Amino acid sequence: MEMEYVTTTCPYCGTGCGLNLIVVNGKAVGVAPYHRSPVSSGKLCTRGLHAAKALTEWRIEKPCVRGESVTWDVALTEAKKISGYSGDEIAVAISSRLTNEAMFLALRYAREVLGAGNIGVVGGGCGKSTGKLSELAKADVVLMIGDVMKRLPVTGNKLYHVQKHGGKLLYLGPESYTAVQADATFITEEYTTIPAEFTEAITVAANPVVMYLAGDAAAAAIATNLPAKTAVLYETNNGRGAALLGLEQFVLGEKTKALFIITETPEREEDIYADLIQEVNKLEMIVAIGSNATYLSDAATVLLPSAALNEYPGTVTNWEGRVQKVRAASAVPEDAKCPCEIISLLSDGKYAWEDKAAIFADLAAAVPAYTDIAYEEIEKPDGIFIKEE
Amino acid sequence: MTAKGDMVYAWTTSSDIHGECGGAVTALLQHALASGMVDAVLAVCRGADLYDAKLELITDPAQMPKSAGSLHCGTLLSAKMVKKYLGGAKDMKIAVPVKGCDAMAFYELAKRNQINLDNVILIGLNCGGTVSPMIAREMIAEKYEVNPDTVFKEEIDKGQFIIEYTDENGGHQHKGISIEKLEEEPEGYGRRLNCQRCKCKVPRQADLACGNWGVIGEKAGKATFVEICSEKGAALLDAAVSAGAVATCAPEPKGLEIRGKVENAMLKLGDKNRAHQFAELGEGRERLEKIMKLSSRCIACRACIENCPICYCVECSTAKPHLVRPGQVPPDFMFHLIRFAHIADSCINCGQCQELCPMDIPNALFMHAQQVELEKMFGHKPGYDMTMPVLSYAEEMEERARLNATGSDMIFENVFKE
Repeated sequence: MEMEYVTTTCPYCGTGCGLNLIVVNGKAVGVAPYHRSPVSSGKLCTRGLHAAKALTEWRIEKPCVRGESVTWDVALTEAKKISGYSGDEIAVAISSRLTNEAMFLALRYAREVLGAGNIGVVGGGCGKSTGKLSELAKADVVLMIGDVMKRLPVTGNKLYHVQKHGGKLLYLGPESYTAVQADATFITEEYTTIPAEFTEAITVAANPVVMYLAGDAAAAAIATNLPAKTAVLYETNNGRGAALLGLEQFVLGEKTKALFIITETPEREEDIYADLIQEVNKLEMIVAIGSNATYLSDAATVLLPSAALNEYPGTVTNWEGRVQKVRAASAVPEDAKCPCEIISLLSDGKYAWEDKAAIFADLAAAVPAYTDIAYEEIEKPDGIFIKEE
Repeated sequence: MTAKGDMVYAWTTSSDIHGECGGAVTALLQHALASGMVDAVLAVCRGADLYDAKLELITDPAQMPKSAGSLHCGTLLSAKMVKKYLGGAKDMKIAVPVKGCDAMAFYELAKRNQINLDNVILIGLNCGGTVSPMIAREMIAEKYEVNPDTVFKEEIDKGQFIIEYTDENGGHQHKGISIEKLEEEPEGYGRRLNCQRCKCKVPRQADLACGNWGVIGEKAGKATFVEICSEKGAALLDAAVSAGAVATCAPEPKGLEIRGKVENAMLKLGDKNRAHQFAELGEGRERLEKIMKLSSRCIACRACIENCPICYCVECSTAKPHLVRPGQVPPDFMFHLIRFAHIADSCINCGQCQELCPMDIPNALFMHAQQVELEKMFGHKPGYDMTMPVLSYAEEMEERARLNATGSDMIFENVFKE
């Protein structure tokens, strides 16, 4: 019997908590706290506690074409037929849950091989934080817009430190868990402005922070006018990474006939593709890559099973811009492949996929925020922050 | 030949082991493995850096030296890991190095038939407390004014948290600050809060209790003080000595005295910290209100249950819809009441339900405060022997029938009122 800990990053929200996957005889069977995590000090919410189960439940096991199991060769041949469509007719939806390296390769494939006109991300967001987790705890006034503490619990945790040090939590938004924790609330379903006393409190504060979810445009508009640092919370583990690649919220578009989509969604997450499924029946072709079943898996013309996060190595960027390692704890299931390998196969080997450090080096050369960051530096337990954009 | 109650100085004879205080613990574990006394050692190994401790199952004796050296930032709930991932040691023999809280957790799980202690050799490690890694790093940067990445050794000795580090010129430096002083500061530095309340410093419920307290004279820093606490412990030490893996000598009489003094000082500090921390909780109604207010932060993530070394039920009552309404956040207060009712008499104060709570609810403080009261009332001291917990003495059906027959379902009326 063999048992070891593999330290990695939680595959769920944008906080980027560290965790240890307990690997027994080569298989991840549980989660142990990683007290050394600079982000979470060992704390995890219910999702992180189940990170091992995400690797076994509801997995897509075999490549399929129109619902029938086929070999990888047949599936790849079928998937490559997407190139028969013009760039205008192809839409590409990349998952904000992939590693930076897989996302970067998928983006290159979409642009360089497919020439797709419409490339976006499902469940991403936009906006950049000017504050970091460590600064949050030291803030004296924090305006929370929306149910931020419940959506990213271990980020929310730092807000209790604010209260402990005598700081104040202000809340704007609908009735919620976060509202209950606040010292002052303004309950509203929709928001365009904030109450005068909130503006006053933020203006006189020494270290004010405004915190909101990355998809919340109304909150972002409010934050722009406030003299405070921002904490823009991404709800997926690499939403910030997707935003750094310039990927915006995916919209299917009128012209689209063929959809190339990476549906990475670990088990226990809401099926974020439920909305998209209403629109896909007008499409002629869907190529879907994913590790776990979603609504889209059933609708896909070609379905390619991929390795899940924590089955292949790479990096992810949390909401504060901290780049951290994801490590392979479990072997990739027999008929699944690393998403980087799938992109490589679809492009007839145009992209090398095995050396993740080399892919990251290409990414660092292409995206200013990652300039001069070496893959080895990310290996350190504290990870490394992106350059200020 | 040694026997239960004996005490010796011990050290490794191997040049491969570079452990703390003569490397006796590593050598004993290595011998247990090499001689076939155990199939595996659940060892504590250094992870990413000095601040990161992780468990690793070692089956090759040659791998044993990598677990040498102490790491004061780790607390790893090894008992729960044995229960969850090693089948409760029912089909394998293992040796495990344990701090006081770990040893206590082994006993509590063994009582509940979740671990077979007959198959486990517990090597106890004297423990003055542990420091949470991120707090240690911040504390070293802020209070010691040293870059935490330059620290190569840390220890708790003579009431101080001491670091050894490399300065800018490559020289070795050391710096110590009184633990009491660190812990009095408002920043919350120093040891974990539960460690501050701990009174199990020399884990005598293990098979051997090992540490550096009381090693003086020419052996200072070169030997480990070993107290033999069971026949199993005596057998391991004797076997390791006759195989030449470990050498021993009689302890200095003055050393014995010093060890006792260190332990007593630690226990007194534990009492002082208990009084202080429990007082902050208030009493009676005030305490209840405080507990209710703080637990309203709960998001029902169940991290406290997942990590509790006592919790083991397959069907947890907190997940039963007639007791706690599903999907409510924060959950009904019954969620916490169930935990108190099921755990409080056996809480071993490992602190993890609090340290790992994403919402910073002082769960361990609540639970430990109740344990101390229950111990006063019923005399049950969890984690020290195989005595069953308070509630196990009641036959549920009989007790229900008895309460029913009184015509009132009020437990207070039936149990506590004269």
